[in-house]
Amino acid sequence: MSNTLLIALAIVILSGCSEPSKTTNIAATDITETRSKALIEKDNSENSGVNIEETQAMVLLSGLPTLGTTDSIAIIELDPESDNFGDILYDYPLPKLDAPMHHLYYSPTGRLYATGLGSQCSLAEIELVRNAKAEPIINNFECLNTNGQNVGEDIMWHNVNGELTMFVTFMGGSDLSQVDTGTIGVFNAQNNQVIKIIEARESQVEPGQPYIKFPHGISAYKDRMVVTSSTHPTIPTEVGNTITIIDLNTLEPIETIVIEDAKPVGFPSSPVEVLFVRPSIVENVKPAILVNTLFGFETWKVPYNEQTKTFSAPEKLYDGATSGTAVPLEFYGNNDELFISHGVPGIVKRYDLKQLPNLVSSGEDIKAESGAHHMIFYKTASGRKLIAIQNNLLNLGDAKDDDPTDIDFLVKLNHHSVTVHDLETGERLGEINFKEKYKKGIDNIEALFGSGFTHHH
Amino acid sequence: MKVSTIVVTIAVIFIALAATIYSLQNRAPNTHPIEFTAPFVFGRFNVPVDNPLTQESVLLGRRLFYDPILSSNNQVSCATCHKQALAFTDGLKTSIGVSGIPLKFNAMSLANLMWGPRHFFWDGRVSSLEAQAIEPIKHVNEMARDLEQLIIDLNNDELYKKLFKKAYGEISEKSIAKALANFQRTLISANSRYDQYLRGEISLSPLENQGRKLFMAHPDTKVVLRGGNCIDCHSQFLTSGFGSKFDGFSNNGLDNDQTLQEGLFILTQNEAHRGLFKAPTLRNIAVTAPYMHDGRFTTLEEVLAHYNGGIKRSKTLSPLIIEADNIAKTQLDHISLNLNDNEITAIIAFLHTLTDDEFLTNSAFSNPFMADTSDD
Repeated sequence: MSNTLLIALAIVILSGCSEPSKTTNIAATDITETRSKALIEKDNSENSGVNIEETQAMVLLSGLPTLGTTDSIAIIELDPESDNFGDILYDYPLPKLDAPMHHLYYSPTGRLYATGLGSQCSLAEIELVRNAKAEPIINNFECLNTNGQNVGEDIMWHNVNGELTMFVTFMGGSDLSQVDTGTIGVFNAQNNQVIKIIEARESQVEPGQPYIKFPHGISAYKDRMVVTSSTHPTIPTEVGNTITIIDLNTLEPIETIVIEDAKPVGFPSSPVEVLFVRPSIVENVKPAILVNTLFGFETWKVPYNEQTKTFSAPEKLYDGATSGTAVPLEFYGNNDELFISHGVPGIVKRYDLKQLPNLVSSGEDIKAESGAHHMIFYKTASGRKLIAIQNNLLNLGDAKDDDPTDIDFLVKLNHHSVTVHDLETGERLGEINFKEKYKKGIDNIEALFGSGFTHHH
Repeated sequence: MKVSTIVVTIAVIFIALAATIYSLQNRAPNTHPIEFTAPFVFGRFNVPVDNPLTQESVLLGRRLFYDPILSSNNQVSCATCHKQALAFTDGLKTSIGVSGIPLKFNAMSLANLMWGPRHFFWDGRVSSLEAQAIEPIKHVNEMARDLEQLIIDLNNDELYKKLFKKAYGEISEKSIAKALANFQRTLISANSRYDQYLRGEISLSPLENQGRKLFMAHPDTKVVLRGGNCIDCHSQFLTSGFGSKFDGFSNNGLDNDQTLQEGLFILTQNEAHRGLFKAPTLRNIAVTAPYMHDGRFTTLEEVLAHYNGGIKRSKTLSPLIIEADNIAKTQLDHISLNLNDNEITAIIAFLHTLTDDEFLTNSAFSNPFMADTSDD
């Protein structure tokens, strides 16, 4: 049985567990405002000292082929108290590519990057500037040379021997037709040149030696980096169940750890996102790796002994199959809490940051929508703290399928929306449905000035 | 036709004529916006709604900036104390104007003035670039110019009449201030080695990079993080200040309570603001010696020495300075970063990466009178 069918089955089963969420505000109305008008209106209240762009976000939008729209990067207003809530303030058309751009990341020096799910542009740098009206605009979108690495997923910057280095996971690696060629690209963070490609094909290493299959999540602490092996981007039957530790002194894989026990849908667990919990996130914490498993529906902990540089046996912290959730995805957070998104039923769970690496609930789940995925944190002009959640797994629509949205199995995980919630109470304050309003899908969200949380990796 | 009808008709014609003349005289000039792009990392900037950045206002402002007509003795221009090659400072401890009496303050560098500041001058005594532009003209020791006479003199100059008409329609104190402010707004510096580093165009040397890290770090002995503590006060070091009310003003330990100067107190009359001065831009800092609001330090080495043991305690001294130390505090009354010599050298090396040679020689910011001469 293909993984697509298994996911579909799991989604159908688990969707029944979810409660319908309540919306306390209407979805943004279909009003097109120009950016200038919006800003002039805002400028009038400028003396408040509040940064008027703090409530703006960048989103990657996918054209939905049969709806006649094309891919773009947009800046949107996300203050539910604003008349401009949900408006696209700026829209930069992307070139036609073989797959959508997938993730946006700011580098530590403020440069903007995007990964892409195809081969034509699996990694790009985006030049964001301001024009003479002080408006943020994109001056250039440059696809970077990855030396043949395909299907970019996550980016992480980390100091290696004193040098800031950019690491990118490429699920498709060097050859999409092969089953185990996933790679991690090591780039010079200044000039974007490939320094090294980390590859360890299971079919080529000696038995018992570490290997990497389909790198997706990535995180690091000091001289240890971890990547997950999730799923092959084009061969549905190929799914991973491991994480691999890489020694950053040598940039070589040193250990592969299986993260799996029960198989709720009879399929490998598919570790997806990963977070190396470390003292820079929680003071005096005992370091450990947290792993979400896409098809295992679980969150795991892998303790790390800093003195011996050894990892202990994985411990399952959260079991979605028995808790009514599936498709756990991202780790985000703020100074107090860690947040984990669960695509099914579309919620964000919250945990006490100080209790990490254990998961101790810090409040009620935030009820978003199916496909709950990326998130940002920000404050409104009135000082209210908010969280905006992008509810959409993947936009992989294809006109030849005559499907106006996306491929069938993803439909239940693609709500095409951003929901905005009070961070303290979880109350939903607004929703923007990009498919209804703009006839586009939404792939990623990033606050205009960064996500407000750097513990992502 | 009745007499009354004739009178009314004449009155209507007169009013219409007067309205037309008034309208023609007061018609907003046909101006052209300035076009540019600036780095996103600088943050959002603000231009007053009633003084848009136009080519005409900048052209006029640049000429005024370099013209000694703004001073009573016709010998001092804005550029006298704000020389481009010195990042629009003058190299003096404190500036000297028409009176020959040294002024109270060191000339502030002019760069990236659109970003941030709500309060100008070292003590924050004015709240707009327009107001800042007028103060030195009127100040008895700086330019000592009678503004009414200045307006008469400018009206007697055909070129200025033409330039003012194109930019603002009339010659007035307001339009003089606006033009000077707009020229200063165009003084954008965005191509130092550090800017190039941020854009990924170059790499910093190991020493510069060490200095960058120290600059950005608040020391924390618990996790063995060494830091220069610079960013705590100079977070807006690439631009010219802070967007919120009095952020960016601090007491950096230059004086004790007995000698504490007024600083921001002069504006707020708040005792907690006594001795607080503006944390200036650090852009082009290597060419803007001497340093501090009163120019008391002649080199960057002296500045670092101040933070590394020369701090004087007073009631408004910044708590961030009191607390910052690279060794665990053993004596609460001794305030020092306790940086080593190598670290000081590294921070200074990093500060040198903030020099923007293109800005210092950009012909668009240079003396137009010199350009006129060379054109001849």
